[in-house]
Amino acid sequence: MARSSELLVLPIALPIAAAFLMPVVANVQASLARWLGIAVVVAALGVAAMLAVDIAQSGPLVAALGGFAPPLGITLYADGISITLLIALLAGGLLFWAASPGDNVRSHVLMVLLMGAGSGLALSGDLFNLFVFYEITAVASYGLVAGRGSGAEAGAALRYLIVGTLGSSLALLGIALVYASTGTLNLADIARLAPERLAGVTGMAAFLLLVLGFGVKAELTPVNTWVPEVYATASARVASLLAGIVSKLAIVIVMRIVVLAFPGEQARELLLVLGIAGVVAGEFAALGSATLIQALSYSSVSQLGLVAIAFAISGTAGVAAGLALALHHALVKPAFFMLAANWRGPIDGLAGAAKATPVAAAVFVFLALSIVGVPPLPGFWAKYLLVTAALAKASPLVLLAIAVVLAAVVVEAAYMFRIAVALYGQPAPERSGPAILRGDLARATLLAAGLAVVTLTAPAVLDAIHRMAAVASDRDAYIAHVLPERGARAALSVSVGVDQRTERSIP
Amino acid sequence: MSLLDILFLGALAVALAMALLGGTRPAGVIATLSYAALLAVLALMEPLLAQSNAAIASSVKFQIIGEEIGWSMNGLGWFFALITVAAALFASWFSSGQWGAVQYDMRRQHVLLAVNVFAMLVLLSSQDLLGLFIGWELVSWASFAMMTQRGGAAARAAYRYILYALAGAMAVLAAIVIIRAHAASFNFADARMAVAALPSATKWTVVALLTAGFGVKMGLLPFHLWQAPAYSETPGASSAFLNAISARMGLYALIVTLLQVIGTDVLTNLSVQFIWLDARDIIMWLAAVTMVVATFIALMQTDARLLLTWHGIGQGGYMLLGVLIASPLGTAGGLMHVMNYGIYQAALILSVASVMHRTGTSDLDRLGGLITRMPLSYVTMLMGIIGLAGLPPMNGFVSKWMIYKSLLEGREPLLLALAFVTTLGTILSVYKLIHNIFLGQLRQEHWEIREAPLSMTVPMLLLGAICFVTGAMPGLTLQLVDRAQAAIGVPLLAHHLGGVTLATGSLNMLWVVGTMLAMMGMGAVIFYLLGGRHRAVHQYDNYAGGHFLSADLRYHFSHEFYPGLARVIGPWYRGWIVRAEASLIRLSDIIGHAWRGSFDAGITPLYVMAALVAGLLWVRSAGGLP
Amino acid sequence: MTLSLLAELIVMPLIAFVVGLALVLMMRRVRARIERRIGPPLLQPVYDIVKLYAKRTQVSHGIMHDLAIVMLLGGITTSVCFLPVPGLEGLARQGDLLTLVYLMMVPMLGLALGVGSCANPNGSIGISRALTAMLAYDVPFVFVVIGLAVAYGTTSLPEIIAHQQSGGIATWGAAEMPLLAIAGFIAMHAMLGKEPFEIYVAPAEIATGPMAEMSGKYMGALFVMQSFQLYTIGALYVTMFLGGGENWLTFLMKLFAVVFVSVALTNVYGRYKTDKVIRFMWTWPTGIALAGLALVMMH
Repeated sequence: MARSSELLVLPIALPIAAAFLMPVVANVQASLARWLGIAVVVAALGVAAMLAVDIAQSGPLVAALGGFAPPLGITLYADGISITLLIALLAGGLLFWAASPGDNVRSHVLMVLLMGAGSGLALSGDLFNLFVFYEITAVASYGLVAGRGSGAEAGAALRYLIVGTLGSSLALLGIALVYASTGTLNLADIARLAPERLAGVTGMAAFLLLVLGFGVKAELTPVNTWVPEVYATASARVASLLAGIVSKLAIVIVMRIVVLAFPGEQARELLLVLGIAGVVAGEFAALGSATLIQALSYSSVSQLGLVAIAFAISGTAGVAAGLALALHHALVKPAFFMLAANWRGPIDGLAGAAKATPVAAAVFVFLALSIVGVPPLPGFWAKYLLVTAALAKASPLVLLAIAVVLAAVVVEAAYMFRIAVALYGQPAPERSGPAILRGDLARATLLAAGLAVVTLTAPAVLDAIHRMAAVASDRDAYIAHVLPERGARAALSVSVGVDQRTERSIP
Repeated sequence: MSLLDILFLGALAVALAMALLGGTRPAGVIATLSYAALLAVLALMEPLLAQSNAAIASSVKFQIIGEEIGWSMNGLGWFFALITVAAALFASWFSSGQWGAVQYDMRRQHVLLAVNVFAMLVLLSSQDLLGLFIGWELVSWASFAMMTQRGGAAARAAYRYILYALAGAMAVLAAIVIIRAHAASFNFADARMAVAALPSATKWTVVALLTAGFGVKMGLLPFHLWQAPAYSETPGASSAFLNAISARMGLYALIVTLLQVIGTDVLTNLSVQFIWLDARDIIMWLAAVTMVVATFIALMQTDARLLLTWHGIGQGGYMLLGVLIASPLGTAGGLMHVMNYGIYQAALILSVASVMHRTGTSDLDRLGGLITRMPLSYVTMLMGIIGLAGLPPMNGFVSKWMIYKSLLEGREPLLLALAFVTTLGTILSVYKLIHNIFLGQLRQEHWEIREAPLSMTVPMLLLGAICFVTGAMPGLTLQLVDRAQAAIGVPLLAHHLGGVTLATGSLNMLWVVGTMLAMMGMGAVIFYLLGGRHRAVHQYDNYAGGHFLSADLRYHFSHEFYPGLARVIGPWYRGWIVRAEASLIRLSDIIGHAWRGSFDAGITPLYVMAALVAGLLWVRSAGGLP
Repeated sequence: MTLSLLAELIVMPLIAFVVGLALVLMMRRVRARIERRIGPPLLQPVYDIVKLYAKRTQVSHGIMHDLAIVMLLGGITTSVCFLPVPGLEGLARQGDLLTLVYLMMVPMLGLALGVGSCANPNGSIGISRALTAMLAYDVPFVFVVIGLAVAYGTTSLPEIIAHQQSGGIATWGAAEMPLLAIAGFIAMHAMLGKEPFEIYVAPAEIATGPMAEMSGKYMGALFVMQSFQLYTIGALYVTMFLGGGENWLTFLMKLFAVVFVSVALTNVYGRYKTDKVIRFMWTWPTGIALAGLALVMMH
């Protein structure tokens, strides 16, 4: 059966091309530009769906652009994880952006650009392209955060820019070190050479720089200082995309780097430490937050810390746990932001919100239960996977991580349900609870419905996640896919049809 | 479709029906009848359980991440389920009339009650550790929803509860995952084998995590602070349900994990050097200390609801003691006490609820003399307190007696002494309760008060009557306990209708109660038929040291009822656990503040630099270079 | 069998009543002798009861007040049926020492409820003090009971008696466990509610407390209760520590001896304050009882 490899380029190329066309079209008719953008994203989504079907049936797709076989040229690689993130990105873009005609052309263009660059992040198979798309994503998001350019927005965007640029330069430095050590930027090629070239001090230094660099968008601990300010000032739709999806693209890149280029224990330990720090910092900071949006921002930091902890655990189990956590967060956090956009101000001022809009309060409680990790909601399974995966590798640091993860649940419940209790409280006399925009409520409800569907189909979803994780955590298979002639174990299982259950069970 | 499926569906159907009809007038009646139907289903299960001693499986099953989760109910779960459904029945009966009509949102109460029943049934039917955990969380959140419904102080108490409960749940999760890692299965039997083979440090960890985790729900020291405020702020009928059975879910889970999964042999083999205690002793001491401390905290309460719920925490200690002795007598006593306690505690809470319904307060300093206005509530409370204090002829005496005997058999004199002292404290405390509400001077503002309506008094009195009947004929309860004991695997206790016959001293409640009744009849004859005629006088016709009493004069001794005792033991209430909790909250606030301050984009370069320096140093050292 | 048991159930309270009246008489005579009076005549207790029952003023404070008297009389007579005496086992095999200890609290509860419903703070304070005293003296008593139960390996009263009678005085509880016997004696003395532990009557402070609102046959019932109480507490002590009764003669001798010591002691003491009672009870007798228990446990 013919593979649809050549389609891989479309989700990247279409939006970027459209982004360049849109300002021109806007000169003719402003709304036309917006419709062009929407059409392109819908088209890209369609392509992504086709790719997803193909990948689900016959395993990862590889495309070599320009006819150069890897490791030369530009390589695109798509497996289950990348295509899932791609779909999440594009669907998220449509959900949060398409139905908002009020914005100006500039933000439409930036949004479409973000879609294109984000697709690139999901699909790139070499470090340099990753870096390029990372930069485009960053630029687009700076612009989006700046929004209409009010003082607070501009300030937040500027500080975001500074931290982001710092990160980008670190990442570039890391890439340079990797290139210096291996002489290649193709991930598969790096993976092939990694055991001998990157195991030393230089390699680890490169890893440190890469993690800190990509960690800016992935909200990893020392470089996530932009998070609370940006999410609190940017529009909720932008914040939803950044916290929900772009951060996942970045953390998955970190995961790929760990799996492919730095399979040693040291790199994982480093990531684990950063993850623990993120969880601790995020949860405690959220605990006494004054506003809902602040609490949610810090919660986002801690959730990505959890993902980092999961990705720091070797083997399929760790990747599966991280993926489950990441996807869960991608579904839940945007819904939270939709609600928070309407519930601004001090938490105590939210009293009566449940009376004003019972559905919104119910959605909030549902989401909160899931993010805290109450069975049988998806959030529980994600955390459960994390704890079981971690326990299988019982080193002292991992045990500490487990303790932190479990304690974090309690802290998480503490602030989430402080808010929930406030929502259901009695409002001050003469005041009714805060109202909520119908569009925001609809989006939040839609996402919550999605979460409910996942709850009901949890076994199937978790199986799918395991299959994806099995592919993504298999370094040899990646090499074999991208470099069929050079792969040491070319005939290796394409590991899609294989029953993964045996691999998962804890030794 | 097994009976268990019908039970689950039935509970769900009640919840659904209440969601639709909960606001209508006959909702309470419908709910009561539905719970009666569920009881009938449970009754149908009994012969099946008795026959084969096997569990009744549900046909609902899930395959998830390679684990199969199913549900089945054995005798132990059945015994607890019986109490659960019965408690729900009485709670909804109580709220079927006037009480329900004046509630702020009775529909929500009905729905939440049904949801709680369902969650508990799920928990009680768990057949593996994962199912146990899922049921556990369901129960926790369901009761959180129930506690929080009134808002205000109730919501604050419930919030505190859910934090404790979640912390406990996480401890449990950790323990379960540890066991799972070694057993490669969640199955109880596999888990038992795996636990037996664990190194002793891991065993300790698992035991500690499980005891603490499930102990939270029981209010085991030092995790007891949440329970009394949370339960007592819940509206009356729901509060009766929570008090009667909710905290016992912790006991159920402890029985399942400590007795069935870990096993007393493992517990007794885990010994601490130099202090002659093993793991079981430590948990038993914890239970005993909880018993004493909670009871003496109850003694100091000035609110009827708080007083009763604090006693609830203390009574949990008796049950755990009996169960952990793990002899036929001990487990029978402990399990029986679960049921007995549920009965009299529900009666007591409902009686206080009807007093609150009429007077609007449960403050023990603002009541008094209600016996003339609310005699039926008084009778209920009287039966309840005799049960709670563990005096004959009520059922509480029998189960406590069995626990005392089992402690003697197990040669635990000090624990037995603590149990006795707890009973003494209980007697003091319950007398204060009934005296301050029903005895003494009737306040002027309560002169017009009438007895609660029949919809409230009938279920209350019925509970009191059950309390008496199961006290006179403990064999009735012990028959049900047999099912639970068989499921745990403890040899059955030989019993008869009146009690047990033992070589070391027997108890036959038929004789005890019969003699009491006969002697009281004789006393009545002597009192009523002999001697001069007595005449009733007004309450102000009273000795007052030469003073004349009038309506505006308060002539009632209620505040600080035991001043002499307070003078001796008052300084012992240091409240150090309360202060530890407060410090913890303050500490996390400070840490949170500090962390929030650290999120400053301006300092990021510094962080990055620090991270790079530290990271590179680490890379260098770990890389083996000088 | 059943018929003789029923007969026992009638006879045992009657005996207890008569012996109890005699004990009351002895108590009053002892007090009189110490105060250099002659004391009341032989039938004075009977006269008192008859007089109280026949009084014209019988003030009732409501149904509970009346029922409390019934509960009190019923409770105290029930406990007598569980206390074996020579030749009469009664219900001693249908309940044990623990049952008896709790049965003895029932009349107390009845009294408390009745007094409470009188709506007189003096009475309520009296009950508050009585219950406080109970908490005080029952702590050492609990250790004594446990020590005994551990030592004999049973809580069945006939078994305990049989064990003590198996080897003469040497196997008496008091001989085998002197510490427990001492602590038990102090606790039992406190149970009688006489000086120095009569905090709940305290006529000068709370106008005789529980008795403030008791008139006529209510007072008569309390009088009866007192005589029963002297009997049960004394007999229980004899059963627990002095080998029970081989026959009625020795039984009554022991019983009167125990009560005599107790009522004689009463007369040389003033009244403790409430908190003093607790402090005393929780230190000396409890300490002695704990030491006794430790000795028992070591065997």
